[in-house]
Amino acid sequence: MFTKKKLIMFAVVCAIFAVGEFWIFSTLQNTFEKNSIKEMTSLIKAMTSSAPQNDEDLAHWSEELSAIYPDNRFFVIKGVPGEEGSENIGGDSALFDIWKLPANATIAENAAESVSYLEVFRWPAKVSFLGVPYTLMVAPVPDEEDSSARATLLVAIDASGYVAFGKLVQSLAVVAFLLFSLGFGIATFSRDPISGYAILVLAAIVIAFVAYPLIEAVRLTLVKEGRFSFDVWKTILSNRQYLQALWGSIQLGIVTATLSTFIGFMYAFAVARTSMRGKRLVTGLATMPVISPPFSLTLSIILLFGKNGIITKQLLGLQNFNIYGLGGLALVQTISMFPIAFLTMQGVLQAIDSTLEDASLDLNASRWHTFAHVTLPLAAPGLLSSWLLVFTNSLADFANPLLLSGSYRVLSVESYIEVTGMGRLNNGAALSLLLLLPTLTAFLVQRRWVSKKSFVVVTGKPSTRLSDLASPGARRALTGFVAVVSGFIVALYATIVAGCFVKNWGIDYTFTLANIGEALARGKQALLSTITLAGIATPIAGILSMVAAFILVRKKFLGKRILESLIMTPFAIPGTLLGISFILAFNKPPLLLVGTGAILVINYVIRELPVGVEGGVAALRQIDPSIEEAASDLGADQATIFRTIILPLIRPAFISSMSYTFVRSMTAVSAIIFLISARWYHITIQIYNFSENLRFGLASVLSTMLIIIVLAVFGLMRLLVRQSEFLEKTVTTQ
Amino acid sequence: MAAKSVPVMLSDVTKIFRDPKTKAEVHAVENANFDVKPGELVTLLGPSGCGKTTTLRMIGGFELPTRGKILIGDSDVTFLPPNVRQTATVFQSYGLFPHMDVFDNVAYGLKIRKLSQDEIKNRVNAVLDLVGLSELAHRAPGRLSGGQQQRVALARSLVVEPQVLLLDEPLSNLDALLREQMRVEIRRIQKSLGITAIYVTHDRIEAMSLSDRVIVMRDGRIQQVGTPGDIYEYPVSMFVAGFVGKVAFFPARLEGIEDDGRTALCTVGGRKVRAGSVAGNLGAGARAVVMARPESLRLVGREDAIATGMVTARVYLGSSVEIYVKTEAGEILVQIDDPSGKILPSEGETVWIGFDEKLVRALPAD
Ligand SMILES: Nc1ncnc2c1ncn2[C@@H]1O[C@H](COP(=O)(O)OP(=O)(O)OP(=O)(O)O)[C@@H](O)[C@H]1O
Ligand SMILES: [Mg+2]
Repeated sequence: MFTKKKLIMFAVVCAIFAVGEFWIFSTLQNTFEKNSIKEMTSLIKAMTSSAPQNDEDLAHWSEELSAIYPDNRFFVIKGVPGEEGSENIGGDSALFDIWKLPANATIAENAAESVSYLEVFRWPAKVSFLGVPYTLMVAPVPDEEDSSARATLLVAIDASGYVAFGKLVQSLAVVAFLLFSLGFGIATFSRDPISGYAILVLAAIVIAFVAYPLIEAVRLTLVKEGRFSFDVWKTILSNRQYLQALWGSIQLGIVTATLSTFIGFMYAFAVARTSMRGKRLVTGLATMPVISPPFSLTLSIILLFGKNGIITKQLLGLQNFNIYGLGGLALVQTISMFPIAFLTMQGVLQAIDSTLEDASLDLNASRWHTFAHVTLPLAAPGLLSSWLLVFTNSLADFANPLLLSGSYRVLSVESYIEVTGMGRLNNGAALSLLLLLPTLTAFLVQRRWVSKKSFVVVTGKPSTRLSDLASPGARRALTGFVAVVSGFIVALYATIVAGCFVKNWGIDYTFTLANIGEALARGKQALLSTITLAGIATPIAGILSMVAAFILVRKKFLGKRILESLIMTPFAIPGTLLGISFILAFNKPPLLLVGTGAILVINYVIRELPVGVEGGVAALRQIDPSIEEAASDLGADQATIFRTIILPLIRPAFISSMSYTFVRSMTAVSAIIFLISARWYHITIQIYNFSENLRFGLASVLSTMLIIIVLAVFGLMRLLVRQSEFLEKTVTTQ
Repeated sequence: MAAKSVPVMLSDVTKIFRDPKTKAEVHAVENANFDVKPGELVTLLGPSGCGKTTTLRMIGGFELPTRGKILIGDSDVTFLPPNVRQTATVFQSYGLFPHMDVFDNVAYGLKIRKLSQDEIKNRVNAVLDLVGLSELAHRAPGRLSGGQQQRVALARSLVVEPQVLLLDEPLSNLDALLREQMRVEIRRIQKSLGITAIYVTHDRIEAMSLSDRVIVMRDGRIQQVGTPGDIYEYPVSMFVAGFVGKVAFFPARLEGIEDDGRTALCTVGGRKVRAGSVAGNLGAGARAVVMARPESLRLVGREDAIATGMVTARVYLGSSVEIYVKTEAGEILVQIDDPSGKILPSEGETVWIGFDEKLVRALPAD
């Protein structure tokens, strides 16, 4: 707490730190400056010694110099300026304009004097042309006897690197001071410094890796040649091609969301409200597309319906069938995303108090009437919410359109092409920001409207016995529908597995094991680096998300809402945007990370943090705070409480957050496609490359392997979580 | 087992909760001043929401006072976090660690203090013996009865030998019989260890039977501090009188106070009464009430009556009989000791009530 003594001590220590830091900072700056002056002087000596012997040739000299040193500017004067017989010969007259400025008269005089003593003169202040800073040097060109200057050379040397270095050191010093004073402040004044540090670290992480990259991305779309301008946005919003992509994304989103919600509702109804058999199998199969790696379903769609697809070519003999485009995309996205709608709707349908339906049935309403006038209206907010969820997911989807869009344009792929194909980072950033618009709208609608309109009657515990709302006929139809969709999912996966063992899909269906060997040999490095980096990210994300959850649930502090929003932000923004923001922010100092494995790890952690935090928060809310208070009362500090009480109690959330991070990192595409390097490659990109080169066999092998890894991790998680299930019970019944 | 007993002192402690959204303020505790002597057991007694828990939590370090100072022993602990205070709290909801068995729950504080394995074992076993839970050392807390859980919580707090034991309605989840047993047990342990203890309850019987002194609170303010006897016999206000026991109030006017400084001359219903004691803040001419406990009331003839009414119930308790009479001043309970052989009024009968003047007390009217 704040006492006078502490305040004084704090101020003194901070002052000492600031002084020390200033000393280091200025020493660094001075040394750097001295070195660069030395370099410049020798550079200029080299220039002047290359001066043409004939005075007549001096006229061309500045041009020659400009050709050799394109970053610098030159102006040549015969004799010494101000003295008799001096004459401007040529070059960049802007340099001489500075010389002539009345305000610079004394400096110019000194410079002329130096030149006449054959010494190089450095203009004391930086000068700037067109927004670029320069160091201006005035150098004598000695005559043959080395006794006097026969000409004077004005050189403006590009100092932007030097200035940037100064700024960098300066900002590092400021950041270091801020961090120190915050940290020291917490240590001095806080009752609970450990939590204080944790908050500080979390804040530093999200500021550096969420706020900063996003701000950089937005900034890039708002500047042109160093100036604020809306040019990028004007280009984007007036270009047909880009608008087509925007419309394409929205169109695809609408189709996918509608189909998915329909299928999802059928599934949910069949599982929650009828006595259909095989519910567990159906549910299990439906969750497969959610966890399976990207490209795998697309791959299998291509194998089935592509140009050489087994159905389109072999079975139906179609020659010009084109799966690439809206149709194919909607198909594959629906299969991948209807489970989201299914799971949401299942929750909603189970939460509806069936006594309402029973009452309706008791009043002799028909089942159909009950369904249409009781169940459906109650489920409506849930339906809308599923629709929006799928819509958002469809828009953010990058992997499926990347392989399957053909000439159909969608925003996520368009922004990728802008960045990697055209090198137009600003357009790419703007396009991916555009993607945020419909997503945010959907999110707001969800927040404002759906949550208010929600009249699902939640009775606390899910009603134990739900009435079978379907007549036998309807149930049979529903079961049939579910069976067909499930069968299709099975077929898709079977196709991938089959693809592993076929020599050349569509042409030569001979059985072979060669694919496996080749895929392993060529994918080994990618697979290893993917596993390594995912393995590193997993515990970091796990711990970090549990710490964040703990702090968000249990601690009160200034800026908590902001911290929470920043942590949750990556959940709402498309991976493409995050990836582009990352290359923008981290391809330059102070955080030069592009090309390292670290940038991938950071990306994984940042992207998966929100889900982990959400799980942790939910788990912590179940725990009576007096458990932690008791531990604290018995002498445990916050770190010990976290380790010995919190972590064991929220173990299920911890484990699932970790397995989720691992799986999602193994199957990432949209963000990391911008961030991979030759050294740190990613297995999914390898699959993409194989598919692009029509090596479907190899792609199938890697996909199958990834699916197996994912399933294994989830299986392991189930096992670990089940072990601790008894815990959850005792926690909640306490 | 316990270290030297220490006193606890609160001076001008105030706690204001501020709703972050509405900015509404709740004055949970206002200007609390009291001290607890070494080895003493003091109860905080008051109706729900009067600030008892908040007071206790400030002493334990879970809540920071808005103003004021808290001292334990000689040191100012106002801003110290709970883990460095020498207090141990038994929470209303126990706060047992669900992922540890009874032994580990109790050993937790000792492990934090990095004691040797052997010492931990000895001390945990000793304290489990003390609370009678040796048999259950390896049960999970989720599979204990409420009373057993409560004893684990107590053992866990005692084993670290705190200077101050804080108990927040520890018995509220137990049934009546168990509550009585545990009450005796807690008192016995606290006395034998000489620990300074602060006990929160809203149950007056618990407070009266357990404590050396009682602090009565209302709406965040301390009303009265005193021994159970003081509080019962000499309450300072109608609120305290009513909260700590059954009582009848008769509207009165204070005429004056006799030279002994205690006896108050009052008029009650036109009749002159010399009340045995008077609340200090009452001056002559003030509107007052005369309070009478059931045991100082009796049935009298019409000429000596202060009030009259009809008997609504008669409850036979063995050593005494309680007679409930509906009067103009509300329902009055008259307690008649040694009922055997006496003629008792029956339900519906009209009776006249008088009191023993020496035993009644004049209080300021609300
Ligand atoms: N964290 C809090 N935030 C806001 N108000 C609070 C908080 N804790 C307590 N209060 C308020 O402070 C007042 C005192 O609460 P406290 O818990 O101390 O009462 P209590 O005497 O222990 O009551 P009970 O007998 O019901 O436990 C109440 O009005 C309560 O609503
Ligand atoms: Mg309370």
